[in-house]
Amino acid sequence: MKGLRKYLTPFAPDQSGAVSVLYELGGILVICDAGGCVGNVCGFDEPRWFSKKSAIFSAGLRDMDAILGRDDRLVAKLSDAAEKVEASFAAIIGTPVPAVIGTDYKALGRMTEKKTGLPVITVDTDGMELYDAGQEKAYLALFKAFAVEKLPVEAGRIGILGATPQDVSDLHFPEKIKAALKNNACNRNIICYGMGDGLDAVKTASAAEKNLVVSPSGLAAARYLEESFGTPYEACYPLAKELIPEDGCDYTGKKVLVVHQQVIANAIRDEIRARGGAEVTVGSWFAMKTELKEEGDLALKEEDDFTELAENGGWDVIFADGCMARMIPKFAGKFVNVTHFAVSGKLRQQG
Amino acid sequence: MNQKAFYCTASELVKRGRDNIPPQFISGAHLIYSSPATLAFNSPGAEGFGVKRAGLAVPGSVMLIVAPGCCGRNTSLISSMREYDNRFFYLMMDETDIVTGRHLKKIPKAVAEVCDSLEEKPSVVMICITCVDALLGTDMERICRKATEKVGIPVRPCYMYALTREGRKPPMVHVRQSLYSLLEPRKKKGNVVNLLGFFSPLADDCELYDLLRQAGVKTVHEISRCRDYDEYMTMAEANFNLVLHPEARFAAEDFHDRLKIPFIELTRLYQIDKIGSQYRAFGNVLGVQFDDREPAERASAAVAAFRESCPEASFAVGECMNGDAFELSLALVRYGFKVPEIYGTITAENFVYLRQLAALSPETKVFSNLEPTMLYYDGSHSGVNMTIGKDAGYYHQDCPNVVWNQDRQPYGYAGVRHLFEALLAAGKEVRV
Repeated sequence: MKGLRKYLTPFAPDQSGAVSVLYELGGILVICDAGGCVGNVCGFDEPRWFSKKSAIFSAGLRDMDAILGRDDRLVAKLSDAAEKVEASFAAIIGTPVPAVIGTDYKALGRMTEKKTGLPVITVDTDGMELYDAGQEKAYLALFKAFAVEKLPVEAGRIGILGATPQDVSDLHFPEKIKAALKNNACNRNIICYGMGDGLDAVKTASAAEKNLVVSPSGLAAARYLEESFGTPYEACYPLAKELIPEDGCDYTGKKVLVVHQQVIANAIRDEIRARGGAEVTVGSWFAMKTELKEEGDLALKEEDDFTELAENGGWDVIFADGCMARMIPKFAGKFVNVTHFAVSGKLRQQG
Repeated sequence: MNQKAFYCTASELVKRGRDNIPPQFISGAHLIYSSPATLAFNSPGAEGFGVKRAGLAVPGSVMLIVAPGCCGRNTSLISSMREYDNRFFYLMMDETDIVTGRHLKKIPKAVAEVCDSLEEKPSVVMICITCVDALLGTDMERICRKATEKVGIPVRPCYMYALTREGRKPPMVHVRQSLYSLLEPRKKKGNVVNLLGFFSPLADDCELYDLLRQAGVKTVHEISRCRDYDEYMTMAEANFNLVLHPEARFAAEDFHDRLKIPFIELTRLYQIDKIGSQYRAFGNVLGVQFDDREPAERASAAVAAFRESCPEASFAVGECMNGDAFELSLALVRYGFKVPEIYGTITAENFVYLRQLAALSPETKVFSNLEPTMLYYDGSHSGVNMTIGKDAGYYHQDCPNVVWNQDRQPYGYAGVRHLFEALLAAGKEVRV
């Protein structure tokens, strides 16, 4: 049945994606909710929350705020917080409640900006889309607001876009990607936006020689930076090798299904093909960008889409998050767990 | 910018009075800060019993969460617990559902599909709905009746409306009422009592069971101890209900209205003498005189043993634990310990304790976990060397912490005894 989930808990929603982009940037992040969404975002979808402080707040909406559309109260609360908390910007992030009452985010942003004197970005997430949609909106809003100055290009400066814990499922990703890219002597300054590098890096994004996009959610921002400053970009995931177990499995002639976010899935596909894989198909619960798609790649929506595909596709190997294994008891091939935080809420085990 | 967490001393708060509480302590007056110390407030389902877990307290029940995906996201924390395996299902709403309300038509079919997918038919299907349906004004009672007709088993609504958190009937009050709404009138038995308030049992050695036996009670029902649906239904035979948590008051009133079962309310306390007075008053209502000397002495002995071991204990007491932060702090001060800091929400009910606390420990600092400046909380010069509550443990990560938010509920003298035994064990690890 459409929309019914019997095995999988819902995936990370758009509001969690938006927060994960902005988490480390030193802003006041206001989730426009009654409290429950903040609890979900922070207590479950933001693994950095337990170890790294961030000024995340709930708007604390109550029924009468929603019924009467008391945006002025939110502006007053945010202004009060801005007087007490050191912040370089504020962000207002949407949830189902403002979506239902039709909150005008642009107006809310302008009112708050006027009152607080802080730059304010708004992300009109509604809790019904998936994390990558929220990330995409947040990246765009962020770069449009702050990456405005055209700076001279620095040779060897590489920007990483689309890296959040929900996408890369690894809090050590920034160190790993920097180490991997610095193997090439030309790459001297690796900037990982939102994971390790802060707002100043965003402001000077035009100085990058090139951007690497490690998840589909970073593509729109990469295109924006290309159009605005001429920065070229490439979608790739340079750490794909560590996602494929070194267990002696021979992929020669094998039919393989990879289910993950599209950039990582594509990178695994390339790696499997390099090892002799005969037919590798990518599927994803999340955005499938046309420019990254090959013929036969699939967008998954319902649980049945996956079970039918996995059990009837004649696959020898399936790469997917471990939580999906129990959905396909009839699958007789090899199941390889590639953790995806946005799916299972788990980080990858460090080997 | 003054980067310091806001607080008031107990004496300042009492001087201002109950009607002049600083806005920093009123959750509706500011943004709600989100830290691991406030998780229990923002997402009650993430820890302990929130609506989702509580809604499954009826034996053999399953839950269908009908909501936008974001509302069900953290449920995997709960569903990873063995007892909740295969008990949570989701019907995810999209934007069209919100505009057209078409999701409501799908519910009976979804309930049927869930029931068909299970090896054993559930006893009840709880339909959990969230803020969105609160705003849409969904009549979930009607939808549940339709679903009941379709599947032939009870289907009940369960409201996770965070928007009404500070209203007359907040979600945790509502869910308690929902849970008992399945009971049908039955012939009363004079020696049966229900304990209402918690979703897990009291500690097995709680003296309350023994005291009730002294009063002639043969059967004590707690929803969490019911082995199956039939046993749960026998809760309707009770002679009276004992309400142990104020959030169960509405449910108890409902019992009274529908099933003609009266109730008596008792408060969870950590002051031994007050526990004794409360039992005496309870005994007077029942017309019996309880003999509670032994459990009272054991509780006092546990306090004494801890005092001997950690005479200089100086506490930070949080609100994320099984107790009232102010009452527990008052108890600790009365037992001779220091309480430099409390993290709590001030209500009319606990202002009574605050007043007494101010008289004994006027300089005790009271912080609000939810206030934005808690971002800057620095406990390095607080003088705290021991903490109670998950939130207090978060603020003082170097001090021994007794989380005290276990599922098994501490109550009465046994609660005091277990707390001080836990403190003794924690204190021994890092000698205070």
